[in-house]
Amino acid sequence: MTLALREMRRRPGRFAIATVILTLIAILLMFLGGLLDGLVASSTGAYRIQNGDLLVYSGNSRDALVRSRIEPAVRQQVESVPGVARVGGLGTAQLGGRVPGRGPRDLVPIVLFGYDLAPRGLPATPPPAGTVYADDSLRAKNVKVGTTMQLGPARSPVTILGFVSDSRYSGQGTVWGSLDTWRQVLNANRPDARVGPGVVQALVVQGDSRTSAGLAERIDRSTGGATASLTITQAIDALPGVSQQRTVFNQIIGVTVVIAIVVVALFFALLTVERTALYGVLKAIGASSRTLFVGVVLQAVVVALIASLIGIAAALVLDAVIPAGTIPFVATPARLASSAVVLVVAAVVGCAFSLRRVLRIDPAAAIGGTP
Amino acid sequence: MFLALHEMSRARVRFGMLIGAVGLLVFLILTQQAIEGGLITGFVGALRQQSAPVLVYSVDGQRTLQGSVINPGLEAKIRGVNGVAQAGWIGQSTFTVRVGGATESDAALIGYQHPGLGDPSRLSAGRRPVGPAEAVGSAADFAIGSKVRIVASGPAAPTAPVFTVVGLAKDAQIQVTPTLFVPWAGYEAAVKAANPDATIVLPSVIAVRPVPGVADTELVDRINAASADADALTRAQAASDTPGVAQVQQSFQLIFLLYGLVVPLVTGLFFLIITFQKAAALTLLRAIGARSSALVRSLLIQVVLVVGGGIVIGIALFAPLTLVSLGAITIRFDPGAVLFWSVGLLVLGVASALVAARRVLAIDPLEATTGGGGL
Repeated sequence: MTLALREMRRRPGRFAIATVILTLIAILLMFLGGLLDGLVASSTGAYRIQNGDLLVYSGNSRDALVRSRIEPAVRQQVESVPGVARVGGLGTAQLGGRVPGRGPRDLVPIVLFGYDLAPRGLPATPPPAGTVYADDSLRAKNVKVGTTMQLGPARSPVTILGFVSDSRYSGQGTVWGSLDTWRQVLNANRPDARVGPGVVQALVVQGDSRTSAGLAERIDRSTGGATASLTITQAIDALPGVSQQRTVFNQIIGVTVVIAIVVVALFFALLTVERTALYGVLKAIGASSRTLFVGVVLQAVVVALIASLIGIAAALVLDAVIPAGTIPFVATPARLASSAVVLVVAAVVGCAFSLRRVLRIDPAAAIGGTP
Repeated sequence: MFLALHEMSRARVRFGMLIGAVGLLVFLILTQQAIEGGLITGFVGALRQQSAPVLVYSVDGQRTLQGSVINPGLEAKIRGVNGVAQAGWIGQSTFTVRVGGATESDAALIGYQHPGLGDPSRLSAGRRPVGPAEAVGSAADFAIGSKVRIVASGPAAPTAPVFTVVGLAKDAQIQVTPTLFVPWAGYEAAVKAANPDATIVLPSVIAVRPVPGVADTELVDRINAASADADALTRAQAASDTPGVAQVQQSFQLIFLLYGLVVPLVTGLFFLIITFQKAAALTLLRAIGARSSALVRSLLIQVVLVVGGGIVIGIALFAPLTLVSLGAITIRFDPGAVLFWSVGLLVLGVASALVAARRVLAIDPLEATTGGGGL
C-alpha cells in the first residue's frame, strides 16, 4: 500500500493524463446530473412545497393543471369522502410580469398560484386580494418586498408581501396569492381560460393519517371518475417532460460511467503490463498478489478521488458563474457526492480488469530475468 | 503499415478496448446531437413549418404561443401598420383528445384564420382542410383519416368537435406534443368545449404577410415601433427565440465540448503509454536502420484505425436508434452531423497522438548500443 502511494508521489506524471481524463468525466457526470437536478427543480418546486398528500385533477385533464377544472359540486364530493381531513383549491395562470425599473418590453415570466391550503413556507391564511408572496428566484429580477408588479396584458397589479423558497414551476418564478386574486387576474387576462365562481384547477387533499390508505381510489370512486387523484410524487412525475428528462439524462450518465470504467481499465491494464517485471520481483521477494492488487486499487481510488475533487470544484464554480435564467444547472451536495462515489466505484471496477494479469505474474520469470 | 497492423493483431484486447471506448463516446455524441435536434424540432417545429412570414405576439406572452393573447386594441394597431398586406389570427392550446377509439391523449391545436397564413407551408401527404372539422396533423403522430375527438369538460360543455386528419406535415410539432393545424372555427369550438366558462376566444398571435417590396425584418421593426405591447418576430426568430430553445442549445454545446475533449485525451493517453512501453523496441528499430518517418507513420496509421474503428462502431450503434422514436422526440440520422463529428474526432485523435509522435522522433539510435532506449 505504501509502495503504491509512494509511486504516485514520486512519479505523479505517470498518473496525470488518467487524472485529467477522469476529471473531465467527473465534470461531465456532475454537469449532466446538475443539469437534470436544475431542470427538475425549476419545474417541480410548486408541487414539492404542497402541504398535502394528494393532488386531485379533473378526470379528463390528463393530469395537467392548465386543462383541469374542478367545479364546486365536485369539491364538496371530495370533502365528504371518509379519510379526507382538509381540502384546498389550487389554480395557476402563466403571465408576463411588469416589474418597476425594468424596460417596457423586459417582462418577467410569472406563474400566479391561487391557494387556500397554505403550502410550506407560506402563512396559513392566504394574503388579502391583490397581494402575493413571491418565489426567491424573483429577487434576481428586481422584485422586492413592497414591489407592485403588473401581471398580463390587463396589467393586473399585485403587491409582494414576502418570499417563499424553491417554489418554481415550469421553469418560471411563481407568486402565491388567494384564490380570489387568482380568479380576478386570470379572468381579466385570459378570457379563453376564465373560470366561474368556486371553480379551481385542482384540489390539494390532506388525508386523515388513520384512514388515508387507498384515499385516492376512494375519492375518484366517489366522484364517479370526475377526478383523477395523484400523490404529490405521482403528480410531479406527471408534469410534462419530468420523467422523460430523468430517463434520458440517467441513460446518458450511465453510458458515461461505462466510459469511465473503460478508461480506468485501459489505463491500469497498460500500467500493469509496464510493471510486470517489477511485480515479478516483488512476488519473488514475498509480496502476495493480493498486496499488489490492493496497491493498484488504491492508486485507482486516489486518481478517482482527485478527479472527483476537481470535478466538484468545477461544478461549484459553474454553479456560481452561470447567469440566472440561462442554463438550469444546480450543484447540490447530494448530486456531487453521489457522482464522486459512482466515479470511485467505476475506478475500482475498471482496475479490477487488471487483477487477472497481476495473478498471472510468475515470480520465477523475474528471477530468470524474463519479464 | 505491416508493423502497425501486426502490433494491433498481437494486442487485440488492448486496442479493442480503446476502439470500444471511442465507439461508445462517438455513439453518445451522435445520440445527444440527434436528441438535441429532435427536441428542438419537437418544441418549435410547427413554428418553422407554418406559412406566415411574420408572427406578432403580445409582449406579455414572452414569445410562447400559449402564453400570448392579442386583444382587439392591439390587433387593430398591428393591422394598421404601413406595409401589412394580410393579417390573420393564430390560436394555440393543448387539449385532451381521443384518437379513434384509443385512450385519452394530448394534442396541441393550432387554429388559423386564413389558409396560407399560419397553416403548414408544405404537406408531406394528403390535402389541406376545406371545412372547420378537418385538420392537418404532424406526420409523426397521425395518419390520413384519423378521427380526433376533443374531450369536453364536464356535462355542461357543448358538443365536442371531432377533427378528421386530411393532410400531414413533417416536423410540425409544438411543445413536443402531437399537433393539429385546424381552421379557426374548429379551434374556437375546441376551446369552448374544453372550457365552458370561456367567454371569448382571442388569438394567441397575429400572422402577418408584408406587401411586396417590404422585407419581413422591416415589417417587424415597423410593428414593434407601432406598439410597445406588440412583439413581432420573423418566422425564424419566433422559432429560435422560443423560451427554452437557447438553453437547450447551450447545455448541449457544453456537453459536446466535454465529450469532444475526452476522445482525443483517451486516444492520446493510450498511444503515449504504448510508445513508452515500446521504447526499447523502437530504439532498436531505429538502430538497425528504420527511419523515424516510418515509425511515426506506423503510429498514425494505428491512430486512424483506432479512431476510425471507434467511429464505425459508434455509427453502427447509433443508426438503429434512429429507426425508433424516443417518446415524442424523433431521433434522426443526420449525415451532415455524422460527417462533421467523424472528421472532427479523427482530426482531434490524430492531433492528440502528436505528443507520442514527438517522442518517437526524439529517439536516439545510439541508445541501443549503450543499453538505453528509454524515452
